[in-house]
Amino acid sequence: MLRIQGLKKSFGNVEVLKGVDLELQKGEILVIVGPSGGGKTTLLRSINYLEKCDAGTIAIDGKYLIRDGVYASKGELKEIRRTIGMVFQGFNLFPHMSVIDNIIEAPIRVFGKNRDEALVEAREILRFLGLTDKENSYPFELSGGQKQRVAIGRALALEPKLMCFDEPTSALDPALTDEVAKVIKSLSVKGMSMLIITHDMEFAKKVADRIVSIDKGVIIDEHMYESGTGE
Amino acid sequence: MNGIIGFLEYFKMLMPQVMDGLLVTLQIFGLTLILSIPLGVIIALGRLSKLKVLNVITGAYILIMRGTPLLLQIVFIFFGLPLIGVTLDRLPAALFAFTLNYGAYFAEIFRAGIRSIDIGQYEGAGVLGLSPRDTFFRIIFPQALKRVLPPVGNEVVTLIKDTALVYILGLDELLKIGKIATNRDATLLPLVIIAIVYLALTYVLSEIMTRFEKKYDYYK
Amino acid sequence: MKTLIKKALTLALASLLALGLTACGGQDTSSKSTLDKDTWIVGLDDSFAPMGFKDENGEIVGFDVDLAKALGEKLEKEITFQPINWDMKESELKSGNIDFIWNGYTITDERKEQVSFSKPYLNNKQVIVTLADSAIKTKADLKGKKVGAQSESSAVSAMEKETDLYQSFDGGKAITFEDNNQALMDLEAGRLDAVVADEILLRYYITLKGAEKYAVLDENFGDEEYGVGMRKDDQKMVDAFNKAYDEMKADGTLKEISEKWFNEDITN
Repeated sequence: MLRIQGLKKSFGNVEVLKGVDLELQKGEILVIVGPSGGGKTTLLRSINYLEKCDAGTIAIDGKYLIRDGVYASKGELKEIRRTIGMVFQGFNLFPHMSVIDNIIEAPIRVFGKNRDEALVEAREILRFLGLTDKENSYPFELSGGQKQRVAIGRALALEPKLMCFDEPTSALDPALTDEVAKVIKSLSVKGMSMLIITHDMEFAKKVADRIVSIDKGVIIDEHMYESGTGE
Repeated sequence: MNGIIGFLEYFKMLMPQVMDGLLVTLQIFGLTLILSIPLGVIIALGRLSKLKVLNVITGAYILIMRGTPLLLQIVFIFFGLPLIGVTLDRLPAALFAFTLNYGAYFAEIFRAGIRSIDIGQYEGAGVLGLSPRDTFFRIIFPQALKRVLPPVGNEVVTLIKDTALVYILGLDELLKIGKIATNRDATLLPLVIIAIVYLALTYVLSEIMTRFEKKYDYYK
Repeated sequence: MKTLIKKALTLALASLLALGLTACGGQDTSSKSTLDKDTWIVGLDDSFAPMGFKDENGEIVGFDVDLAKALGEKLEKEITFQPINWDMKESELKSGNIDFIWNGYTITDERKEQVSFSKPYLNNKQVIVTLADSAIKTKADLKGKKVGAQSESSAVSAMEKETDLYQSFDGGKAITFEDNNQALMDLEAGRLDAVVADEILLRYYITLKGAEKYAVLDENFGDEEYGVGMRKDDQKMVDAFNKAYDEMKADGTLKEISEKWFNEDITN
């Protein structure tokens, strides 16, 4: 589903990714943990084409975003990006749009769906996320957990094959992490692959099919990680 | 009592001329707004563009327009342009100068407004696959608009008073009408009347701007 | 400020030309005579009572306005009046926006370099006015006093010619105002000791404000004349103007207009 090989990225003189290799199966939930500055955020942003890498390969569902350091054409990039959903740490909801408008924006603008069709699908998503009564609310009226679910819903509206989560528990009440874990698991059951970065080990253990750690720009064996942090 | 009746009678006598002057003032005001705001958006985009050429050109434009008095620009466009073969009538010349000048001020306001939008909004739109065009017009600009409303309102009020500068082209706008009557009748009364009209205009404009701001209060 | 604008304008225009932007397509006003045009545009400062100004109905009226209309009738030309800013009068004439500067325009040597004048049609004096109870009785009394005048007016030029006296004013020069009305208001407020201005204008204002409040000194800052400004070197127009003017003088047209505005014939 997702294959990363020898991915390298530098910011100026600092090499943040020093040849990352990673694979993710369809429907798998992979959690990446690791210390701040270890490169996990950069890795996630690179997969979403929010950072440009210097060398290596990223393939998503058989299509190359970057192959041996060469990026795909503009048109191909657009196609590939549509298959990835991203839930930002700060959610990045559009504050001037209601919940439902946040969700239908991309289906209408990007997929060219008509408004009615998009609304039906968006309401379906809202029901799945338990947000039906928030359809016409604005982001500033929502709690952190609700905002996150809107952000998930917005990404889901593109029907991605891979969903990425950047620190999904950081803005949440600890009591709410179970709920996010539940949502993520129910999505993977539908065959969606999940890539989550977090520093919250409790959460990682709760949700993950597999946990890997990244430090100093390289992936570290999962067993090594678990032995290092086991309590 | 006599004084008040006298004032009212004078007011009544002056009213038709005040309306004439008001028409000139409002023409310049309204048309300048309609023309300079879109110009400001375009210049702001040039300032924010990644193209160095556009940056330099729009930067120089803003520097010149904000760095020289509007009065001078009006004189320049009306009296100077004919020397290179471009002859404009009085009102179009005034409008041209006002639009260029206010376009520069609006550009700086819009630039600041657009820049103030969090990078996360671009990234949010980017991962959804929105085109740069949709990202700007659907996501960034509407939010920037809300933020620039207070400074834009400020410029709007300044503009209504700046229109008086067209006196240099002999156009009889509101303030000039007041000065003509003052010189003719050797009294300050006309200026008092004109001041009241300006105040009323500014009040109405402030109310309109407040309405606009309220309209955007639906989100934070 | 006004001088600054003029200087800046001149500089800017000069640099425009220096940039090689040749004055090609502009109106070619130098070779054609105004006399050949069917419509004449008279430029005037429409706040300049009583020579040319807007009346209560917003109509442009005044002594000069009636004079121009009479001339148009005589020479079968259509006359239109274009309000201009007085600071810009010569620029307006040169650029062809107007054909005449006709608005109590004093003939001076400096102006002769820029425009062609008609023969003088009105005699004028730069008179000194004070409040009725003022102790100032002669020009010499102005020493150390605050003297006001209209900015860029011929009153200032007239005073400047008497350098010693001018420099002895409080502040070493005259205090200048945008118009004579403002200067007179300042006099009335007691902040000025005297105002120097065109006699013709002063008569108008003093009548409006109440003649008993003011005293006009016997001494003055010299005689001068009003003329009509036409484009430099348009001798054909100047000749036609002067001829028509003499005829209007002879047939009593001028007398009639003068009496309407000044209650007596003060034309040359």
